[in-house]
Amino acid sequence: MPVKAMLLGNEAVAEAVVASGCQVAAAYPGTPSSEILPAIAATADRLNAPTVVEWGANEKVALEMAIGAAFTGARSCAVMKQVGLNVAADAFMTVALYRLKGGLLLISSDDPGPHSSQNEQDSRMFALFAKAPVLDPSDAVEAASMVKDAYVLSEKYGVITMLRTTTRVAHCRQDIEQVETFEKGNDVMFEKTPERWVSLPATVRVSHPNHNERIEKIRSEFETEWGKYNYEIPAKGKPKLGIIVGGVAFSTLKDLMKRWGRDDISILRIGTPYPLPHKIVNEFLSRQDKVLVLEEPYPVIEMQLMNRSKSSGRWNGVVPSAGELLPEVIENIVLSELGTEAKRPDTADLKLAIEELGLSARKPQLCAGCPHRNSFFSIRKALPNAIGPSDIGCYSLAINQKGIDSSLCMGASVTMASGYYLAHKETGQERPVIATLGDSTFFHMGVPGLISAVYNRHAIVLCVLDNSITAMTGGQSNPGLTGKPRKDDVGTALSIEGVARGCGVTFVETVEAYDTTSGVDAIKRAWEHAKANQTPAVLIFKHPCMLLRVSQEIIPVTVEQDKCVGCRYCIENFGCPGLSFDESAKKVSINTRYCVSCGACVVVCPHKAIVKASKGGN
Amino acid sequence: MANEINDMQYIIVGVGGQGILFTSRVLGKIAIDKGLPIVGSEVHGMAQRGGSVISHFKVGEFFGPLISEGNADVVMAFDQKEGIRNLSFLKEGGTFLVNTDCAAAFENAHLKKYLSERKIKTCKFEGFRILDEHMAGKYLFLNVLILGAAASLKIQGFEEERVIAALKELAPPKHLDANLKVFGLGLKAALT
Repeated sequence: MPVKAMLLGNEAVAEAVVASGCQVAAAYPGTPSSEILPAIAATADRLNAPTVVEWGANEKVALEMAIGAAFTGARSCAVMKQVGLNVAADAFMTVALYRLKGGLLLISSDDPGPHSSQNEQDSRMFALFAKAPVLDPSDAVEAASMVKDAYVLSEKYGVITMLRTTTRVAHCRQDIEQVETFEKGNDVMFEKTPERWVSLPATVRVSHPNHNERIEKIRSEFETEWGKYNYEIPAKGKPKLGIIVGGVAFSTLKDLMKRWGRDDISILRIGTPYPLPHKIVNEFLSRQDKVLVLEEPYPVIEMQLMNRSKSSGRWNGVVPSAGELLPEVIENIVLSELGTEAKRPDTADLKLAIEELGLSARKPQLCAGCPHRNSFFSIRKALPNAIGPSDIGCYSLAINQKGIDSSLCMGASVTMASGYYLAHKETGQERPVIATLGDSTFFHMGVPGLISAVYNRHAIVLCVLDNSITAMTGGQSNPGLTGKPRKDDVGTALSIEGVARGCGVTFVETVEAYDTTSGVDAIKRAWEHAKANQTPAVLIFKHPCMLLRVSQEIIPVTVEQDKCVGCRYCIENFGCPGLSFDESAKKVSINTRYCVSCGACVVVCPHKAIVKASKGGN
Repeated sequence: MANEINDMQYIIVGVGGQGILFTSRVLGKIAIDKGLPIVGSEVHGMAQRGGSVISHFKVGEFFGPLISEGNADVVMAFDQKEGIRNLSFLKEGGTFLVNTDCAAAFENAHLKKYLSERKIKTCKFEGFRILDEHMAGKYLFLNVLILGAAASLKIQGFEEERVIAALKELAPPKHLDANLKVFGLGLKAALT
């Protein structure tokens, strides 16, 4: 008897990937997709499945590894978050036209809200753009079921198939039967058929029309054989409203319908948003007077509707074009379309209380003892005038200590530093540019920018904040480490210093991140070197992430109240949660709820009020 | 018997790093042992880094993971500020279990009025003080302490013997004695 367990959506997806006989799985971590690959490895370990599980240096690497495996006949999968798909887009757009040998599943996780992303893009839109079929689950159980069906579809048509999840599916918890067996994978036999595996204008003139035909066959299959995911829940009697709905909004809507006790709404649930099953949708539309389209985050189904004369959605502003479709949002939209209003508790007093008590949402912040905090403190202290482009990772939280000036996407710290340098050079100005990024981000997309900066002679300083982990996404390994997802699998750790030197960087130094005295000195020297030689300099600030719980010296600290002048310098420029400012006393003190006794703040106070707590001398 | 079990919706709030996910794991384990369906939503990623975090957890006949405002049976707050900020999730007559570190906030006139008009059962416990006194200030035990407090209030889904069984199964064996001690402290922690 299969055992029911409380699985995360991502774990349910991972179990289904292994159960489907996936032979090669690759990913780059990114919220909300990060737990999938480790769970594939854990499931494969548990079932003793032969699945190869690896982190790619970035999403393009991961997808291309999976594509190579699929060319040989192996069933494979690549996993990433929505913005990771941008990195892998080059491969994705073209591989969609191929007739693959092994099944190829692309899992891309969207983040409406967003909760942990730099934008709210919709991977289904990318699937439509690439002309690749996409499945859109409404909960974790269905996501797992869709993995299996995606592999069947992919192998039947030789087409890359996307499973698009969103945060509320990826990070939902549900009771799910754990898998106990896995399918055998395919035979691996690479056949030398260049006309199939080489994409050239001449082959595309054949493969593109063939793919168009294939997509129409898939559309027709979605219209007739995929009733499991594309189905109607009819109203009793004549419907007052028809709703076409996809993704987690469908689950939310079902909960609301139950609470409202309504049965006068017809629901058409679409689980295959591209290619849209036109026949089903058109037939539904023909029977309704008024239709609402609910999906997130972009209007992918809505844009494919052949006739929008009856439908409301984003095109006419009925559904908001940004943010998450929370239950309250859906309730407002649907009831307003029905001409009524949602009944909500009166929260006026609560709102006043929250305002009077000054309770605002707590912003994410660097952990107490996080080495990044000291690195940014050193950078700002050494060169306060420097422009600080940063990157995607925990260090973006240094915005709280005014440590960063810009961030855009993975690797843009280095390349935008070049842009800042060039703009100033062109206008004859001189201003230091100190870029910051983490170890995993350096390997992901920092290296090409660095190579370009060496080649083009850009005077910038690149600080690699090496905390020996991919931290923000939950502590995954990266090419700077030896860890690999499967048990007993060991990789080769690359040296960041060695990579930088190999790229032609002539100033490469490593400093202990907590040691701000050395840090300040090294930044000044790095900038002087960069300026004098018109070349990038690389500094590595090294200290393990606090989440790794590597044992380190315990240095209890205290704030000498007579020395603290209440200037808030430490709060504004260091901002450790272990430091509290008492508004009435105008003094800083140590907040024992958060302080981890790392001693990193002792150097911060200009009045020397933060000191090591005396314990048998220091 | 089944008729005696109601659908339950729990909101669990706190600050990233406080270990609130463990509480929903215990809730889930207990529900699954009873054969009840569960669905919930967790926060992972950036917000886990010291920001406001919220878990939605539903036991019974539900489809989506999110709880609508005014529908939660219980709000469990590891952090008083986060608890008050999220009180709008609580239904009329619901239970507000909150780790307090500043009693004065509850003297706010608007808050008092809201809690009484909505007939909210407020149960406070001084988690940080208790852990300072008994566990050398190891605040990571807050999640087990709150389980004890919930069990003492007879909140459905937190039956004492079932929570103990779940702790035995889910927590690392080397911490079991400490967890059981903290759970015992939690049972006596709730102030009225």
